[in-house]
Amino acid sequence: MTEILQQALNGLAIGAVYTLIALGLTVVFGILGIAHFAHGSVAMFGGYLTFVFSDRWGLPFFAAMGLAMLAGAVLGLLIERLAYRPVRDAPHINAFIIALGLTMMTEGMNLLLFGADQVVIQTPYRGVFNVAGIAIAELRVLVILTACVLIGVIALLISRTKTGKSIRAVAQNRQAAVLMGVNVNRVSLVVFAISSALGVSAGALIGALLAIAPGVGEGLAVKGFAVLILGGLGSIPGAIVGGLILGVSEAMAAGFISSAYKDVIAFLVMIVVLLFRPEGLLGKR
Amino acid sequence: MNPKILSSIGLAALLVGAFALPQLVTVPYFMHLIILALIWVILAQGQNLIQGFVGYVSIAQAGFMGIGAYFSTLLSVKLGWSVWTTLWLTPLFTTLVSVLVGYPSLRVKGHYFAIVTLAYNMVIFTILLTYSSVTGGEAGISNVPRPPELSVWGWVVNFEGKSNTAYYILVLLSALLATGICAIILHSRVGRVLVAIRQNESLAEAMGVSTWRYKLFAFVVSAGLAGFAGALYAHYIGFLNPEPFGVDQSLNAILAVILGGSGTLAGPVVGAFAVTFLPEYLRIADSYRLVTYGFILVVATIFLPRGLVPVAQDLLTRAKALLGKNK
Repeated sequence: MTEILQQALNGLAIGAVYTLIALGLTVVFGILGIAHFAHGSVAMFGGYLTFVFSDRWGLPFFAAMGLAMLAGAVLGLLIERLAYRPVRDAPHINAFIIALGLTMMTEGMNLLLFGADQVVIQTPYRGVFNVAGIAIAELRVLVILTACVLIGVIALLISRTKTGKSIRAVAQNRQAAVLMGVNVNRVSLVVFAISSALGVSAGALIGALLAIAPGVGEGLAVKGFAVLILGGLGSIPGAIVGGLILGVSEAMAAGFISSAYKDVIAFLVMIVVLLFRPEGLLGKR
Repeated sequence: MNPKILSSIGLAALLVGAFALPQLVTVPYFMHLIILALIWVILAQGQNLIQGFVGYVSIAQAGFMGIGAYFSTLLSVKLGWSVWTTLWLTPLFTTLVSVLVGYPSLRVKGHYFAIVTLAYNMVIFTILLTYSSVTGGEAGISNVPRPPELSVWGWVVNFEGKSNTAYYILVLLSALLATGICAIILHSRVGRVLVAIRQNESLAEAMGVSTWRYKLFAFVVSAGLAGFAGALYAHYIGFLNPEPFGVDQSLNAILAVILGGSGTLAGPVVGAFAVTFLPEYLRIADSYRLVTYGFILVVATIFLPRGLVPVAQDLLTRAKALLGKNK
């Protein structure tokens, strides 16, 4: 029983990171209809930047993460303006192929800037509490808390501010939003900035929790989409529930079946959901 | 002269040239690249079937290639079957696998489909890498046999040894076969339905077409071609490990179709040669390869969304119109 709880707790931390990734993807997909596959690589870019800021420049972890999130937001703006906007009116397949090209470019850029070595971001949060036989690592708790704070900020931003209102308007009906005087170009830039910053935070947390290496980003993007499929595309509560389910089921699979096949099991969960509930667990029919 | 006759003559000249190529090219490395490019033609024709005709981007092509490569290799290495038998069986086996995985994934559309096929490719790759008691894991399988010698009307054709001429002819014939199959499909009723699905799936459904059958058909044929290409690849290189069957190779197949011109028959051929030869010439900037590659993909999609072949055709018609005016 303690073993199960222990694995569930480990899974929750990873699941929180998946949720952050999925949140960025779901905002972009829900509002612009783009499957932004390069998101994982952007997240890895942010992870590397956080590493550089904290390791070389000696900034505290969260300050480094915040700075990297700013840089990520700028990268997101560039991506939207230079790559996605030219194909906005073309068939969806073109935007997806652009996304694949962007993935290659970002991965290549990461390789050039940061090298091919695996990187772990060192944090001062190394304590372990022991509660009823379960080891609780300080870092995991902090990761979960950070994710909660970021999710809360995004939820407030979308539900309470004027910008959030225009984002929701574009998501519901693009034409009507344009007629109401919403600047769609600005909304789409804002959405990409938010989404990329969220991705970067996830990359930094992954770097502290596990490690960053070339190729991790693509896996992360696929996990993010798996979460979206689990929870329902474009749904924020769906992203949260899906992320936690994926994280916990992966940790269980790694703990009780085989860690080599944990990714396979995550995808099997996704395929089964697609078979029986293609609109996702919390999606609308 | 009648343009139809003219283009047939051009095609015939191209074919004669292709069969005579081993006599003209003396650099073995160049020959090696051409053989790889022809294997890629088979792969890209398969990709074009689902991506170009139906408009569903599948990111599992390299995974199916891997299934084919390992299936044929394991049968010939572990069970000692003749390579000729396994080459025939491979497309059948990959087809069977793709029916099983295609059925659930084709229930979803657009981006979902792309992501699910991507997940398949990752699963296939993980299994190839991890199930090492059968696949040999990362160390792979060495000494994959070439097909045994064949006697055709008294001629003995030897596929082993240093000269790759016989294997080149085999691969060339296979690439022609793959292109031929796609041409037959494109010009049949099925092909018109596939294109109709790309243009407007809801409308096609409203016209009474049960679209999922056609989509499954395209997916399955595409996977069969990929498996066949995989088997040809394994028996050519002689060494097999999971590395060439990762997601980035599937992306390469997509790039081949986009660059060449999706939905055309000549497009994948041009694209396959482009993705085989471009990296060789971009080698100068090896560390910049991934960035350059991605950049080409993005720029090509923005400025050349229809690919090289349709653009070349346009230029040709325009040139003809200009010549006509001058007369």
